[in-house]
Amino acid sequence: MNKASLRLILITFAVVGSVAYLILSGVKQTGLQYMTVTELSRLSQAPKAGGFRLDGKVASGSVVYDQKEPRLAFRMTDGGDEAIAVVYEGLMPDAFAAGREVVVEGTYRHDEKTLHASKLVTKCPSKYEAEGLGKDRS
Amino acid sequence: MSEIGRLAIILGFACSCYAVLSIAWGLRTGMAGPLKSGRRAVWIVCGLTLLATIVLERALVARDFSYRYVAEHTSLDLPPYYAASALWAGQEGSLLLWLLILSSYGAAFLWCYRKRFDPFYDAVAMVVATVMIFFTGLLTFVCSPFRILATPPADGNGLNPLLQDPGMMIHPPILYTGYVGFIIPFAFGIAVLLMNRTGTRWIEEVRRWTLFNWMFLGFGVLLGARWAYIELGWGGYWGWDPVENASLMPWLVGTAFLHSVMIEQRRGMLKTWNVALIVLTFELSIFGTFLTRSGVLTSVHSFAESDIGPWFLGFILISSTAATALILYRKVLLESENRMDAVVSREGSFLFNNVLFVALTFATFLGTTFPVISEAVTGEKISVSAPFFNRVNVPIALALLLLTGIGPVLSWKRATASVLKRNFILPIFVGVLATLVGIPFGLHGVYPIVCVAGAAFVLATIVMEFARGIQARKDTEPAAPPMAMVHLVQKNKRRYGGYIVHFGVVMIFVGVLGSSVFQKEAHAPLKPGESLAIGPYSLTLRGVEEKQIKNAMQTRAAVDVSQGGKRLQTMHPSKAFYSKSQQPMTEVALRPTPAEDLYLILGGVNDDGSVSIQAYINPLVSLVWLGGIVMVFGTLIALSDRMRLKREEKLLG
Repeated sequence: MNKASLRLILITFAVVGSVAYLILSGVKQTGLQYMTVTELSRLSQAPKAGGFRLDGKVASGSVVYDQKEPRLAFRMTDGGDEAIAVVYEGLMPDAFAAGREVVVEGTYRHDEKTLHASKLVTKCPSKYEAEGLGKDRS
Repeated sequence: MSEIGRLAIILGFACSCYAVLSIAWGLRTGMAGPLKSGRRAVWIVCGLTLLATIVLERALVARDFSYRYVAEHTSLDLPPYYAASALWAGQEGSLLLWLLILSSYGAAFLWCYRKRFDPFYDAVAMVVATVMIFFTGLLTFVCSPFRILATPPADGNGLNPLLQDPGMMIHPPILYTGYVGFIIPFAFGIAVLLMNRTGTRWIEEVRRWTLFNWMFLGFGVLLGARWAYIELGWGGYWGWDPVENASLMPWLVGTAFLHSVMIEQRRGMLKTWNVALIVLTFELSIFGTFLTRSGVLTSVHSFAESDIGPWFLGFILISSTAATALILYRKVLLESENRMDAVVSREGSFLFNNVLFVALTFATFLGTTFPVISEAVTGEKISVSAPFFNRVNVPIALALLLLTGIGPVLSWKRATASVLKRNFILPIFVGVLATLVGIPFGLHGVYPIVCVAGAAFVLATIVMEFARGIQARKDTEPAAPPMAMVHLVQKNKRRYGGYIVHFGVVMIFVGVLGSSVFQKEAHAPLKPGESLAIGPYSLTLRGVEEKQIKNAMQTRAAVDVSQGGKRLQTMHPSKAFYSKSQQPMTEVALRPTPAEDLYLILGGVNDDGSVSIQAYINPLVSLVWLGGIVMVFGTLIALSDRMRLKREEKLLG
């Protein structure tokens, strides 16, 4: 192996090392704890600090939307008895509605059992896939 | 009618199988007959797929609701052109489009090489046909678009309003043309290994195919970003959504390949690496289709969780294992002919370019699949989103920006100190100058400064290269500057086309910087006559009205935009309620100028009669779209260069 190849390998290692560092520190600082509604609501003590990501459904009759602020508050369930309150400061996404599946990201206040969302994604309603069309002709 | 479509796909499946077997037989025995017959079968698959697509399109446009697919994705009130575009609104139709493009590539490939009776090209066709088996099989046995309902409904479910947009009519086909097209480079790579092929001719051919697909994929990704910007109405165009990432990854690896393949052409090095990159590009485009369609990861695009996921994973697993095994088996074929002479050289800089592009892809891949990976490794589900990608990818992208300026002007083998001085002193000076000019205008922070300095640096190197080229030709062919430039580009299309692509890249960097770091936002409920101030603009609500349009009820606000007391124009942010979906659809009002976009969203009409308006100023976002067009233009120039191929043809006789 000549000197140039050796140097290249060293520099490549340095690059790969810095990228690995970026990734690890990135996960540490921006990683979100990914939980279901039931898991989160059953926590007996405050979870470790950091962001949360929660998947679930918008509970029916729970949506309170103040369009002027704008501020959207609702409760999220995953089909069980438990629910988590979510507050999102922003416009209601078009596809948002009670019963729709949503993903929220933000910080969790254990004392209020409330997730303050900084991001709210509404999954596309499954309406546009098969629903109520019945069986195929055999 | 549906039977014809179904039958066409089944026959396509049979023909694909036949093509593979026949070509394999021909390659083994050296007989020309089976090879010819196999090639013909690939043509037939293309024809059959076209027939199946026509059958489905006819049903879509005619709104024949006895087809499950038509009932799911269209409705009577849908304009016919959107009904036609529903071909790629759902899974089955999208897969049919995949197959149509795949088989068209197969046919186009055979057409291009119809006069070349070299079994190598038959091997390429065989690999393409193998992938066709997978897709025709999927469409026959797992998710057929030709399922017929027992009781057809009177009206269909309708098309998702988000997809009722002119951009959505062209974005998926263009993206797919890029995605699917990587089959050809992949097939070339595999065929080289199968046939134990040496020489450099195939490398140039593969480079051209890759460039073509790469251009479409990049353009498709940008069209998607543009669609998100206009239709999704959140003020931005890129959110590091899994599906966006999925389309970006093959593009990144493809870019790495387009650079490293030059080293192979020039110096006969990095052969294994290049084949690995081609394979990776193709696998990532299959992975992208899998991500979009499987529902493994939550995304705005994941329309349905479906059962085709395992099939795709299986396909990726088998094809990548087979490719890896082949690469290891043909190790000798891929041995390097040369060694690296110095770190500071064209090769060295391209190598770093590759390391960085692959790192960028890896980080993106990891971030996209992180919940799945972290659960498998630690049992704890961790998810990452935009902050992670920005944190990791932005520095890597900036390093790549700097390399864009450095790499092309370094000489091959070894760059001497005097060359470095001659090439870089002026650009470095320009970079520093741009930073100093930018600081009084609010430029601050490490990354923005590196971005501006880097962009100016790269621009300076590009301008210098053009100026030098014109200078060198001045004596032999004197011409006025604009003509001299055209002549220069014509003389070496590959090289200067490349510079033009780099110029587009710089524009995109500056556009992204402006629209992300310097974005401004303001919102308020406004009563008629009230105003909202944002940046230099004053937005005054004039009124709001409701009216019926096509298949929707529209609420439309009129907002007067003025600057410094002077009225500029009236903008109309609106919301439409589609009767079919009972869902609002926000329609953004946009005032684009080269310097900045004013972007208005209608929140809605409040109980007290006020209207909620949200406004954004996105500086320089036009450079992102313009940069994309420049990149396509540069790629077309590079593609039009047939010199090298001709030269090599001559050498071969």
